[in-house]
Amino acid sequence: MSATVELDRVSADFGSFRAVDKVSVTIGAGEFFSFLGPSGCGKTTILRMVSGFIAPSEGHIRIGGEDMDGIRPNKRPTVLIFQNLALFPLMPVWENVSFSLEMRGVDKAARRARAEELLKIVDLPGAGNKMISQLSGGQKQRVAIARALAVEPKVMLLDEPLSALDLKLRQHMRAELRAIQKRTNVTFIYITHDQGEALAMSDRVAVMSQGRLQQVAKPEDIYNNPSNGFVASFVGENNVFDGRIIASQTTTARFETDLGVFEAAFNTPPSSDQKLRLYVRPEYARLVSTAPEASNAIAVTISDISFEGNFINIHATTDQGRVLTVETRNDGSSDIPETGSRRYFTFDAQRARILADETQAAHS
Amino acid sequence: MISKTSRIILNVYVAAFLIYLLAPLIIMGGAAFNDSRFPSVYPWVGWTDRWFLDLFRDTRMWNAFKNTILVALAVVAISVPIGTAAAILVNSLQGRVRTVLYGMMVAPILTPGAVIGISTLLFWHHFSVPSGLHLSTLGQCSYISAFVMLLVLARLQSFDRGLEEAALDLGASYSQVLRRILLPHLYPAIGAGAAIAFFQSIENFNTTLFTRGPYDTLTVYVFSRVRSGITPTINALALIMIAVTLLAAISYEIYRRRHEKVLLARGRGNPDSD
Repeated sequence: MSATVELDRVSADFGSFRAVDKVSVTIGAGEFFSFLGPSGCGKTTILRMVSGFIAPSEGHIRIGGEDMDGIRPNKRPTVLIFQNLALFPLMPVWENVSFSLEMRGVDKAARRARAEELLKIVDLPGAGNKMISQLSGGQKQRVAIARALAVEPKVMLLDEPLSALDLKLRQHMRAELRAIQKRTNVTFIYITHDQGEALAMSDRVAVMSQGRLQQVAKPEDIYNNPSNGFVASFVGENNVFDGRIIASQTTTARFETDLGVFEAAFNTPPSSDQKLRLYVRPEYARLVSTAPEASNAIAVTISDISFEGNFINIHATTDQGRVLTVETRNDGSSDIPETGSRRYFTFDAQRARILADETQAAHS
Repeated sequence: MISKTSRIILNVYVAAFLIYLLAPLIIMGGAAFNDSRFPSVYPWVGWTDRWFLDLFRDTRMWNAFKNTILVALAVVAISVPIGTAAAILVNSLQGRVRTVLYGMMVAPILTPGAVIGISTLLFWHHFSVPSGLHLSTLGQCSYISAFVMLLVLARLQSFDRGLEEAALDLGASYSQVLRRILLPHLYPAIGAGAAIAFFQSIENFNTTLFTRGPYDTLTVYVFSRVRSGITPTINALALIMIAVTLLAAISYEIYRRRHEKVLLARGRGNPDSD
């Protein structure tokens, strides 16, 4: 019970504002696919177009190969889990869960039995008679999922459903959602601005900015091989250096900045007018006492050490006053320098990337 | 912390307010039992129940009472659907259309009842419809449905449009959304609207007076008795009406509390959390 979802050059305009700009992507049947981006990037608009609440201004949406143009939300094989869950407060849990069956005219006994089955799937057996207001945040979440599953949808659309939960519960529900998706094998399209959620749950992630797809890839590729500066800085932390390329080989280039010349990975052929930056993730950077022989070293003074629990953030100030960040695992193996001591900030050329700010055409 | 003087002032004020509010009712109630030809408690002539007996023998009064209830029920039946529909419509509109429709609905509240009565009469006279209780009903509905609309509109403010979308997404048609999601949310306001419509209709005088034709309602009957020399039967009638209203209010409150308890008890089970 799942279907492919195909977006074919889909755009959405609100007056003169283009919320979604020619997005093309094919989501596989049974895939857990996330749209990740800051608020206002157009990800919710995409979700509402797939569910049928907004019609695309241009382009086509096909679900299971069938064009959805002109088909109303209640006739689509999709179901949407709303950000605020939108549970019906005046109905007990079981009526909420079996609401779609009631709309189809299924008799009460059958609805009741099906609701109980679905509540078991989401690990809430016997909660059928409770009112919604009597449930905790996590329980409401499960009821919303059970209610959506009752439709036997081919595609489940989730609009940041975990954003209202506290951290512990959120992490628990991540695993739960992933497990339910695997169990039911429904195509999940998940919208979030939380990179941790997107990376942890998804088969593939689409990073969006200003209505455009920036990169569509597996979570590890999004993190390790960001296609542009936006993806690199939106997903994870970075030390960023402005500068320009002075010499380039096939996979690396020499990059001149006001802190010196560095060597880093470089894939995309430079287009003349694009601004380039060098991105070094804090966990890929190291602090050493003696200047390394190769390039990629900046003399720094340790200015601040912030202990985060499972890792330690070390802030180091260059002689020019730039603050750089190095992240070290708190596993006892690395030596933590004293505040005020002199070190060299260094990184491997293969682990640092020279990227353009944003790609104009989406990669897919 | 309230100082002692201001507490005294507050108490005196509340007492004066309650006396002002309730004293006329008490005096009126007392007069119903006074064996005096005029409706007053002073001088107290003696205890009697003859005003009540007179009242029960007064067929014209009973007829007026029956008419009043009929009109009130008809007003509820007409103005509640109109007011509710108008509220849903106004709530879903934007901009100028909304302002115009809202203004048109509310205007009759601001119009004097006599004007509504006369214009209803003239309008239907134009179509050769004779005056009578049906015109009274229509005239009253024109402003009472606005009360219902205002009540329902206020309740609509707290309605989450997301619920409507969720229901549509789950396969409901628009009429199913209305019946199963929107109306249940509005029931408290619709109920309050129906009660207000009922009582507004019962106490209406101006509009009814012009449109009633040959028929009496309670207010018109009382008015005609005042002109032709008033006796304490009026007081007896008023006392009965107050008693009925009080009883209705008290029994509703008892029902409401009991219902709340049942809701709380239902599904309390084990409020476990995860």
